Amino acid sequence: MKPRIAIFSLTSCEGCSLAILELEDQLLALLGGVEIVNFREGMTERAWDIDVGFVDGAVSTPQDEEEIRKLREHCRTLVAIGACACLGGVNTLKHQQPPLEYREYVYGAGAKWFPTTSARPLSAVVKVDYELPGCPMVKEEFLHFVKCALTGKQFRLPADPVCTECKKLGNLCRYEKGELCMGPLTRAGCRAICPAYGSVCEGCRGLLGADAVAAAREVFPARYGVPFDRIADRLRLYGAYQDDGENAISGVLQPSR
Amino acid sequence: MTGRILSHAELIELIDLLGASRRLIGPVRRGDHYFYEPVAGAARLALDAPQCVYSPKSFLFPPEETLLTFEKESGRFVAQPVLHDAPIALIAVRPCDIHGIRLLDHVFAAPPGDAHYEARRRQTFILGMDCAEPCRAEAFCADMSANTAHLGFDLMVARLAEKLEARATYAIEAGSETGENVLAEFGRGRAPGAVDEAARAERAARKRQAFPKRLRCDVDELPMALQRGFASKTWAQTAQRCYSCGSCNLVCPTCYCFNIRDDISLDGNCGSRVREWDGCQLRDFALVAGGHNFRSDPAQRLRHRVMRKGRWIQDRTGLPGCVGCGRCDGACTAKISIREMFNALAEEAGHDGD
Repeated sequence: MKPRIAIFSLTSCEGCSLAILELEDQLLALLGGVEIVNFREGMTERAWDIDVGFVDGAVSTPQDEEEIRKLREHCRTLVAIGACACLGGVNTLKHQQPPLEYREYVYGAGAKWFPTTSARPLSAVVKVDYELPGCPMVKEEFLHFVKCALTGKQFRLPADPVCTECKKLGNLCRYEKGELCMGPLTRAGCRAICPAYGSVCEGCRGLLGADAVAAAREVFPARYGVPFDRIADRLRLYGAYQDDGENAISGVLQPSR
Repeated sequence: MTGRILSHAELIELIDLLGASRRLIGPVRRGDHYFYEPVAGAARLALDAPQCVYSPKSFLFPPEETLLTFEKESGRFVAQPVLHDAPIALIAVRPCDIHGIRLLDHVFAAPPGDAHYEARRRQTFILGMDCAEPCRAEAFCADMSANTAHLGFDLMVARLAEKLEARATYAIEAGSETGENVLAEFGRGRAPGAVDEAARAERAARKRQAFPKRLRCDVDELPMALQRGFASKTWAQTAQRCYSCGSCNLVCPTCYCFNIRDDISLDGNCGSRVREWDGCQLRDFALVAGGHNFRSDPAQRLRHRVMRKGRWIQDRTGLPGCVGCGRCDGACTAKISIREMFNALAEEAGHDGD
């Protein structure tokens, strides 16, 4: 029997779900290997006996929290997809303002009818088995994950930084243009898409680990005259919830629970 | 060795002659930088490009290449090798990069030989371009005896008049039989254009003056200095700033490490085996089955790389492991410099000897 997979969305733009539909040429082959039983962006049928559930979006409302607990119960394997589900994502920018302020900004006079919580990744609420980070998720990585699941191969995220992909593509380093790129700190797997198209890496796939952050603490102030706090600010854009070894990135903005 | 003097127009003509039966690859200007790229004709090339951001290594040993494809036939997988042997001509390759290619030649020829590298290499023509002066402040090619190449090219060009490119003249000589044949074919029906020995000697003398010494020890003393510094504090101190990003590896003309992975189709019936560049500074480079990492500490990895570049490759192959091109220093966003590390270790070794 084919594995039954499902795709769900919490607070997000659902761009990661759409990335699955963007697989286009591979979709038929994908359906040859798995059965999709629940996918709001792609179909109307709904079923709840799920082998692998993919969830995008952050937990940002009481309903989200209820939903993710229910999904955890229904999915044998739960996979967080995209920066929001893995690291909190851009949803966490709201933590820069008091809750009432951002709720009024979004919902106007009726704000009190729309309760929200701080924005958190799935792992802050339930146990997550795998994470496919990125804004949006890298669709080729999703496909690789499915192949690993089908063939029984162990899935591992790349442990190299974005720089390795830039160099393999033969890109000019953004630092050569005087720009501070987060590539050296950030997990590869995106084929360095931002530097390749003329922008810096903003770290949407998350930090590589404590060693790289420790190096950044030395390098940015001493070599570029930039305090580490400013780098932490940038890394928080997509990744307010991530372990940097010293809690510097999430720690500065410990969201209210 | 056959030699000739060429005008700029003749050099362009000669390169186009090479391009008639080969894909031309040479320096192309992109903004303030130069890259080796395929071109339709010699006129597109920036022949006096100082140094390209990347060495031409990727045309012989691509960052990612399919080694074989496999397909299921009556329940068994059958493999089909993938070899690339389209003729190419690498144009205006600088001596440092020629030394780099010589090392790759040596490494990939080690038994049983690397069929994929050798298929490409056999069909590669190299036209070298000698340097009259260092191309960048980080370069210490002269210290590593790599600012001149006597071997490893088919033709070598040295620019004699160094002012306006259009009026420049070039001394050209062959370094292989293929190179001799190309020169002979080019020379047919032309005036001999013999080499002016005086002009060449004068250029050589100027070149010797132009490269400052940037290492604080002799290249022959470097391996011993590194060995004595194996337990030095320099490694841990410097590694504090190392991201382990692997950029130094990936821009290095002598780095040849790779990883192999299998890509399989969704239905599991076919796939391909792919080789991609790897680098010893990356965290998981020495990670083995069972989860043990032989070099889990950035300081161990940094030492490993510097030892290889300054000693171990030389010991094993007799060829320089570092050609002093300075690309790694330039690529390091943490500004870690291999030259400064060599110098620090040489200095420590000197003090030990006092």
